[in-house]
Amino acid sequence: MFNQTRLKFTFLAFFILLAFVLIDIFQLQTREFESTSQIIDQQNLDKFYITAPRGEIFDASGQKIAETKLEPYLFINLRKITNQNSSDYRQVIQYNFPELETKEINEIFESKDILNLVINLSSVEYEVRNNLLTNFDAFLIIDLPIRNYSKNELFSHTVGYLGIPNQDEFNKFQNALGNNQVGKNGLERYYEEYLSGTPGELIFSGSEIIDSKQPIPGKDLFLSIDSRTQEVTKESLQQGIDLANKSFESQNIIKRGASVVLDIKTGNIISMVSLPDFDPNKFVSGISDFEYKQLDRDQAFNNFAIQGLYPPGSVFKVVAYWLALSENIFPEGLNNKNSKLDCEGNLSFGFDDGSQQVYNDWKLEGHGKVDLTDAIKQSCNVYFWDIALNIWRNYGNTDGESILQKYSKELGFSKKTNVDLPFEKVGIIPDRDLFEEWKISRPGLVREEGWLGGDLMNLIIGQGAITTTPLQVANAYRTLLTGENLSPTLNINAEKITNNKINVSDEFISFLLEDLNTVTNKGGTAYVSFSMLGNKVNDIGGKTGTAQNAGDKNNTSWFVGVDSISSPKYIIATVVDEGGSGSAVAAPISRRIIQYLLEYELTPVEFGEITE
Amino acid sequence: MINRKITILGPEGTNLYILLQFMLFSVISWFTLFSSIESIEFTTNNILTRQIVFSLVGLIVFFLTTYLSIENLYNLINSLFFLSISVLLGLLFTTPILGVRRWYDLEPLGLPIFIQPSEFSKIILVLFIAKMLSQKANKLFAISGVLISMFLIFIQPDLGTTMLLLIVASLMLFVSDIKMRSAVVGLLVLFLSFFILLEFNFFGDYQISRITDFFSGDDFSQNQSRLSISSGGLFGTYFTESKIIEVFVPVQTTDFIFSLYSRNFGFFGGLLLIALWIVFFFRVNRIIKRTQIEFEKYLLSGLLILLGVQILINLFTILGFIPLTGIPFPLLSLGGSSIFSTAIIFGLINRVFIENNIVV
Repeated sequence: MFNQTRLKFTFLAFFILLAFVLIDIFQLQTREFESTSQIIDQQNLDKFYITAPRGEIFDASGQKIAETKLEPYLFINLRKITNQNSSDYRQVIQYNFPELETKEINEIFESKDILNLVINLSSVEYEVRNNLLTNFDAFLIIDLPIRNYSKNELFSHTVGYLGIPNQDEFNKFQNALGNNQVGKNGLERYYEEYLSGTPGELIFSGSEIIDSKQPIPGKDLFLSIDSRTQEVTKESLQQGIDLANKSFESQNIIKRGASVVLDIKTGNIISMVSLPDFDPNKFVSGISDFEYKQLDRDQAFNNFAIQGLYPPGSVFKVVAYWLALSENIFPEGLNNKNSKLDCEGNLSFGFDDGSQQVYNDWKLEGHGKVDLTDAIKQSCNVYFWDIALNIWRNYGNTDGESILQKYSKELGFSKKTNVDLPFEKVGIIPDRDLFEEWKISRPGLVREEGWLGGDLMNLIIGQGAITTTPLQVANAYRTLLTGENLSPTLNINAEKITNNKINVSDEFISFLLEDLNTVTNKGGTAYVSFSMLGNKVNDIGGKTGTAQNAGDKNNTSWFVGVDSISSPKYIIATVVDEGGSGSAVAAPISRRIIQYLLEYELTPVEFGEITE
Repeated sequence: MINRKITILGPEGTNLYILLQFMLFSVISWFTLFSSIESIEFTTNNILTRQIVFSLVGLIVFFLTTYLSIENLYNLINSLFFLSISVLLGLLFTTPILGVRRWYDLEPLGLPIFIQPSEFSKIILVLFIAKMLSQKANKLFAISGVLISMFLIFIQPDLGTTMLLLIVASLMLFVSDIKMRSAVVGLLVLFLSFFILLEFNFFGDYQISRITDFFSGDDFSQNQSRLSISSGGLFGTYFTESKIIEVFVPVQTTDFIFSLYSRNFGFFGGLLLIALWIVFFFRVNRIIKRTQIEFEKYLLSGLLILLGVQILINLFTILGFIPLTGIPFPLLSLGGSSIFSTAIIFGLINRVFIENNIVV
């Protein structure tokens, strides 16, 4: 039965609570009214901040990619406007600036600021300005900086964009309040303190300026990134994504991808592209909530080069390659890199607990007799599974079982690369401890038995729970070729952080380069994508990767390339989310970038060969 | 069931008071928003234009709801409930916007809005509970319905709406014939489960930080909104040509709109708004007493509770009595989903009035 009495009590409680609200509001609006006015006065009344010119950003060839233009603006001091002179000022404004509509002029006079902006004076003659200033003492001219990203979308993720600061940013960046702008992402964020400059101040007493401080401009930033390389990288990635859309019947439209070019010697970033992108200039004039939500939905604000987490697939096999040669762990029965295993297209094996399993290679008919070189060249999974089995059988359930993870972490996987960009993600290298943790924190994600040999076999070919960012992968290859895991950076003056050093011999490096070279040559997985280069391909190398995704998502397409075997200068890492086979999509994208880096003639991205 | 002539403005006998109240609140909202914008432009980005369009569409929603007779509504409730659950489940497959899965983007359909299904789920939940209680069904049905909806909204994540549903459902059970003893036990269980959830890290970092910020008294938005309310004084700044600079309050046009309203219309404005709502509550309560149909009693009291709790949570939030929640003020806050859902509530109440032959 419905209980009317209890409803009455509910209403009573509701009214009592409302009464509390009203009492509080009454106190706020009567007793605290005076003190509030003072607080508000202090918050913003007697100080007018002038935004400081932000430092500019230049690319490797000295082109401005983010510039600050100072433009003169006419301001009106509304505290000097009285009922008597108000109409004079209106007339003056109307007469001198006929382009202002009456409505806009009304708004100027109805504003509650001390100083209110009237109009940009950059196209107004000097005499007019002078006349306004000398005859009308409520007018003053202030130079204000305007941020302009001259390359529009091209650097949206690296350079980032500006926005109005929120409370956290007021606390974190001391110049945010006065500048009323703050770097929200990218380099604008990472180097906020360096770029921002100190805002100027006008101190008012009543209607008079009694003190002023000039704004101090921010410092300029010089990048290792090169606009032209960046353009070619973006074009190539876009062509590859369009191609993937044409060639695959995917449920989702393929639109996400990233590509990074890293200088091997210095660790400098030469280009970094993430798609989809956006025009950072939109944030200068103010972006609507709706437009922002839309861009956010398309994930356009994510820099997939450092925030995209993808299983690396076969590009991860170089970790096992390095491990095999350093620790002399080869498939069972083999004892050096040249002894061969007969790959029949699948691997059946048993574990101590009696379970029997069969793993199928991507090439069902098998790769035939393969040694370590062939395993990289043809991306033979069976060979690497056998290494994993060997590790598992010898070290399983002991401290040594995580040797592959240890090697991965030495190359920087599951750790920050310490790139000079904000919000970098680290990814995951799974091991027994992590699975135990997930059993509690993310139940349902892992089996009750915890970490098993099958998980290690997955990991060795870059599948399963492992996730990496494209920059991590590029940096791992760079680390293998130099022996030093260095932070990749965009700012040429950034302090380089040595994350760690690894032990690689010159002999190992030349082995690795030679074997990467076989991938782009006849019989290798990327041969079709590179064959148009003719003889030149003899000096190019790389590794394809195709990582399976859960659900009905298409595979992730990977390619890591190196521009030259004889004198390697650049690492190129490309990923296309849901782009399918690495050798078909990511490889030709990277090929086009390499063509540019080696100053060869550019040819369009063409569909390669589906392997893996 | 009473057969009524159908007119353009709904079935014969739309209650003038309810209609007037709806329009009055909408107009108050327009005036409040007007003070915060610099210009009126007829574009989809201008907040005043958006709000006026939302209010007018809300009026249509109000009339459309009126066509649905209480009998048909009653029979539809189970289907509506499953629809609501499916729509909430569907959200799990959308791309997160601003880090949460809370909206459907209607852009592909050509409408420049984001729709928030939880705004409608709460009404459907009230309907569902009203039906379960009036059927004298096992109260566990009602409770499990509440728990499923709450869980789906909790994982969006939307802690504010989850708490709202929890309070509304508890109060609806309270006005039924539930034993006081069960009520006390239920409350204890809830209290404990909160700490268990806390222990197992079920809350996001930002949710925890909202709570800790609140207890350390340094929540920026709440401090600013108190300043904004205070600066309104007794009569507000709307009609005076004050040169005081604006007080910056984050999201002032949506969740914090009452602070803008108070600044503009002062204490007497606030008093008027709250008085209007109290009159509304008394008016509807008279019908709760008068109608003989159990379902209508539960329905009306459930809807009143829903509106009342939303208003209280909203006011408590902007006055800093409780941590930030993100519950809008009905009909005052900017936002389509909130207006449409309140229009549906008003439409449902109107229909009950019609069927009880109450016109003014």
